[in-house]
Amino acid sequence: MVAAQKFAAPAAQRPKNLFTGGDIHGDLVLDADVVIVGSGAGGATLAAELAEGGLDVVVLEEGGYHTTQAFTADASAAVRNLYRDGGATIAIGDPPVMYQEGRAVGGSTVVNGGMSWRTPEKILERWHHEAGLTGIRAKDMEPWFERVERRIHVRHQDPESIGVDNLILKEGADKKGWKVIPNLRNQVHCAGSNNCAFGCPTGAKQSALVSYVPRALHFGARLYSDVRVERITRHGKRATGVVGTVRGANGKRHRLAVRAKLVVSACGAIHTPALLARSGVRSPSGQLGGNLSLHPNTKVIAVFDRDVRGWEGVHQAFQVREFQDEGFLFAAVNIPPGIVAMTTRHLGAELGELMHDYDKMVIAGMLVEDSNVGRVRTINGSPQAFYQLSDFDADKLKRGVGLLSELLFAAGAKKILMPFEGVPDLHGPDDVHKIFSSTIPKRSIEVVTVHMMGTARMGRERDRSVTDDFGFVHDADRLAVCDASLFPTPIGVNPMETIMALATRTAAHILDDVRRYR
Amino acid sequence: MSTLDSEKFHAPKHVRRVLESLVAVVCPPEAVELGIEHEIVDHAEQTMGALPSLFRAGLIAGITAYDQASRVWPPSKGKASHDLPLAMRSRWYLAWLGGFTPVQREFAKAVKQVLVLGHYEHPKIQATLGYKPQQWIDKVKKRRLDVYSDEIAKHEASILAPDPLPRARARTDREVR
Repeated sequence: MVAAQKFAAPAAQRPKNLFTGGDIHGDLVLDADVVIVGSGAGGATLAAELAEGGLDVVVLEEGGYHTTQAFTADASAAVRNLYRDGGATIAIGDPPVMYQEGRAVGGSTVVNGGMSWRTPEKILERWHHEAGLTGIRAKDMEPWFERVERRIHVRHQDPESIGVDNLILKEGADKKGWKVIPNLRNQVHCAGSNNCAFGCPTGAKQSALVSYVPRALHFGARLYSDVRVERITRHGKRATGVVGTVRGANGKRHRLAVRAKLVVSACGAIHTPALLARSGVRSPSGQLGGNLSLHPNTKVIAVFDRDVRGWEGVHQAFQVREFQDEGFLFAAVNIPPGIVAMTTRHLGAELGELMHDYDKMVIAGMLVEDSNVGRVRTINGSPQAFYQLSDFDADKLKRGVGLLSELLFAAGAKKILMPFEGVPDLHGPDDVHKIFSSTIPKRSIEVVTVHMMGTARMGRERDRSVTDDFGFVHDADRLAVCDASLFPTPIGVNPMETIMALATRTAAHILDDVRRYR
Repeated sequence: MSTLDSEKFHAPKHVRRVLESLVAVVCPPEAVELGIEHEIVDHAEQTMGALPSLFRAGLIAGITAYDQASRVWPPSKGKASHDLPLAMRSRWYLAWLGGFTPVQREFAKAVKQVLVLGHYEHPKIQATLGYKPQQWIDKVKKRRLDVYSDEIAKHEASILAPDPLPRARARTDREVR
């Protein structure tokens, strides 16, 4: 049996209403009130709310269905099976930005860190004033956030689940006198298995896979995995369904079509604009695929002379928020040795020597609220992201790396590896000035991200936005978007809860006029 | 590309040969000492299978070009890189890693990445680091169930409990007016 088959959930473990490619033996045509493309934070939330509201919902997911039992410490199997293109997706720019997207039932919520933060009030105000959105201010969003937090059980970590690496980060922040806060995460007594990015092996993380997806199925939604949607079908401006393909039981590809009264694209900020574009949807604003922001991230590797064993305990138990007004955050994120080794400049025996101290490493990252935007272009039907890191954001990354290094030295780090090609390791706080004073070319910065946003932005004005206040595509009928594509601007915090809250708000809007979609 | 596509991928023999010759260059010496070069390349093959098809095709073309280009490198005396002794193989690799063109440099980095990933994902290597994450997962998973089973069951029940969305909340101020 090949590994992918072992990784996939056997039929006996599948809930009713959930169908994988193996269940499909020929071409298939389905009818529904609503078809949703994507089963992540946006799609699953919307599906559950609409199904409970009495609509007949079909969800189509490109990735496979994998249960909690399949999630183990085998990180590379998880990357191959749960991430799009093995995690090797790149936004073209100088430097290039490597980004990752989940591709599985539950979407990126299956592989994210579980950070659950409300959209900052200042961002919602900005959306209200600049994008002209109504019903979006903090007081308006309160019931949607509250409902999502109840469903996905947003809480602080139990103390016993927090590992040494995170305590070191907090210790460093405390010594510097910097603001550090416990993270809010969607978890039910998270055990601290440190496997969030490879599928939670305990089921504690309340990803869509174990929360909104089972709820949607329970209330009658049907979910088909292993389906690649090719395009949205339309009659004039009206969306009438979708067509795609599914790899069936016999390994053959079969056609799958869904006819529906409402079509929702919830496949993320990279794939939503591509799906709309290859379906012939045009935005008079020219903004479809534009406005891509992605919270550039970078990381440092700090080596201590004491045991850290960063894999023992939850990651990102704390966030350092001292510099949030400047637009960046710090957190400790342990990553497996293979991925650490991939990202260093070391080779051969020198690599072995470095990795010998893997159990003494703290890996800390920073997230930047970006000031520039890129674009997703659709080339031969497939999306390609283009993003140019601005000088302003590159300076923020350099400054952040310097400050993060100061924090880690304050906590006792002996050596810190830089995310800048050609910049030597730092061996003490006195070395940090090198970061501030030297010229580090932008192209030498190692930039990664998991937060892509903004490519079908909401807005009141149809000449400046792709979708309206509730994610319905301007100049189209019965076609909506429900993912991070909707964000008019980056939000500066982890986006999952914002996506879920917006999806809940959109569901309520649809249910207010439910007869239109029955 | 589906996960099944990635599982079906087998690198051409000459590509495997080049990758095997590079294990001793980019991975720590334990790879050769423990005799796990084949397994590292098996892993690299799986990783390549999960890559976007264009990326994978580029990598294979790059490996072929890298191997054959050494024939015109005077110190190689006309040999392909995989036939060179270790010291020469290392020099050839380093020449690409510091190469004039970004393509050479990015290719050399990509090859290193797929090989060292395979190296450090190998259970024998993980054991030498004291890295036993599955043991930790099993331990805390049990602790969680022992301590919190009632609360976990309560939350699981709430996932399926009726809680319909209140209507008319979504209307904007303007629409309500």
